[in-house]
Amino acid sequence: MESISFWKKYKNILFLILLIVAVAIWKPHAAIYGLQRGSLYALAGLPLSLTLGIVGIMNLSHGDFLSLGIYIVYMFSVNTGMDPLVSILPVFILLFLLGAGVYKLTITKVLKAGHLNQLLLTFGISMILLEVMNLIWTSRPRSVYVDYASSSVTVAGVRFGTYEFLYVVFAIAVLIGLQLFLKKTRLGQASFAVGQNPRGAKIVGINTSFVYLIVFGISVAILGIAAGVMVPRFAIFPSVGSSYTMKSFCLVAMAGLGNLTGILISGIALGVGEAIVQSIPGYAGWSDIVFFGVLIAVIMIRSIRRPSL
Amino acid sequence: MLEVKNLNVSYGRIQVIKDFTFSVGDEAIGFFGPNGAGKTTLINSIIGLVRPTSGEINFEGQSLLDRETHQIVRMGISVVPQDGELFPIMTVIENLRIGSAYIKVAREKTSERLEFVFKIFPILKERAFQLAGTMSGGQQRMLAVGRALMAMPRLLILDEPSVGLQPSLVTELFEKLAVIKTEGVSVLLSEQNVKQGLKVIDRGYVVENGAVVIESTADDLKNNEHVKRSYLGL
Repeated sequence: MESISFWKKYKNILFLILLIVAVAIWKPHAAIYGLQRGSLYALAGLPLSLTLGIVGIMNLSHGDFLSLGIYIVYMFSVNTGMDPLVSILPVFILLFLLGAGVYKLTITKVLKAGHLNQLLLTFGISMILLEVMNLIWTSRPRSVYVDYASSSVTVAGVRFGTYEFLYVVFAIAVLIGLQLFLKKTRLGQASFAVGQNPRGAKIVGINTSFVYLIVFGISVAILGIAAGVMVPRFAIFPSVGSSYTMKSFCLVAMAGLGNLTGILISGIALGVGEAIVQSIPGYAGWSDIVFFGVLIAVIMIRSIRRPSL
Repeated sequence: MLEVKNLNVSYGRIQVIKDFTFSVGDEAIGFFGPNGAGKTTLINSIIGLVRPTSGEINFEGQSLLDRETHQIVRMGISVVPQDGELFPIMTVIENLRIGSAYIKVAREKTSERLEFVFKIFPILKERAFQLAGTMSGGQQRMLAVGRALMAMPRLLILDEPSVGLQPSLVTELFEKLAVIKTEGVSVLLSEQNVKQGLKVIDRGYVVENGAVVIESTADDLKNNEHVKRSYLGL
């Protein structure tokens, strides 16, 4: 069992490296840009994989929590002059509390009512967050300037940004952190149990409400990490994070429920695919179609290969 | 050990349990009755999955009302639900380990408990690394009992353990229960298979329409006319 899953993981990572190398030879810029962009998708998608894939909470307000995190980072920067990367720590804690609070006040009430109700509720939360951000900060785009964010290097005639490699670093760090949490802590183990069978979890003595609360809190808090690294490179407006909701859902669907490593692999693969399309003159607007097209293709191939599931 | 007094449970306007009083000491007791008699509801209200409308439930002098299921389990009551409630994509050994992981006293003795469970159910040792969801119904039932035992319960509640099992497995399972009983675990058994159930229990209650109809020792129940006619087919 163990060796099969290891081979599976290994195979996918090998495939990814081959893909990046192949693209790097053909379109070096697209490979680097795709790797960076894809890691950011993965960084935003990982926490959704935790809530949706492991404990089974649907959260349509995922991307709006990201936007909120971005605004909080912005506020720290404007009011205290704190570096966005340094502010990750307080923002992580603030978003954890906020996520746990929102969970306790709302989502806990619809947990037993099934996914449709969770979908409707979190859609409502998404609207509220969006409008609140609109009211407080208006729709005027803002930005935070830090000098290191625009650094770039030229290697073999290809010029690319170096700051964006932080997305890759953070995505890998969050992935490792989550894996350790899930495998090494009792709370992490409990999350698997709760996801597989909430009633079964209760009768082995797991405080399921506590597990849901912490996991949801952590998931929102991780968006604070994504927010911190995004702020120096992104124009800030209320719906800046909205597109990450659907993209994260796609990654979870593509990677398979509960497969965290798969999120990083799928994120990068889709990022590279997107970057290739964007590098073709006149077709930049097609990148989203490619993103969702690849997703549909992957799900279809999977369902053919595994008809029993 | 467990005392239930004047328990009433309703689902909306339908009263399922009516003024139910019973107790479990250091013994094995059984609830016998047809489908819909309220046996599962009774068990669910003991372990906090269903809230009673009125009455008292005390375990070793402490009230179980207003306690969450996980707290009740940590007090020393383990349950084997009718459908097992296993973790299908965890292995047998992971399912067993999780049975003791969240109960402090049991966690410290996990390896001892594993040995104990494997001694009673050798099949679980053979299948230790198989996913629980891929095992047969009978093996899953054994695993559910094993997982409950991992928690070192002082009271083990079993909800119709014989349902859906072939007769030879039912006999095997009840032999195991007799062994478990000798280990100093009190047993509360809900069963439709009265013939097998009577072999394990010391005392029994016949439950019909949410109320106790007969309360008696196992020997007396065997000779009771109503039990003979309705449940033993004699």
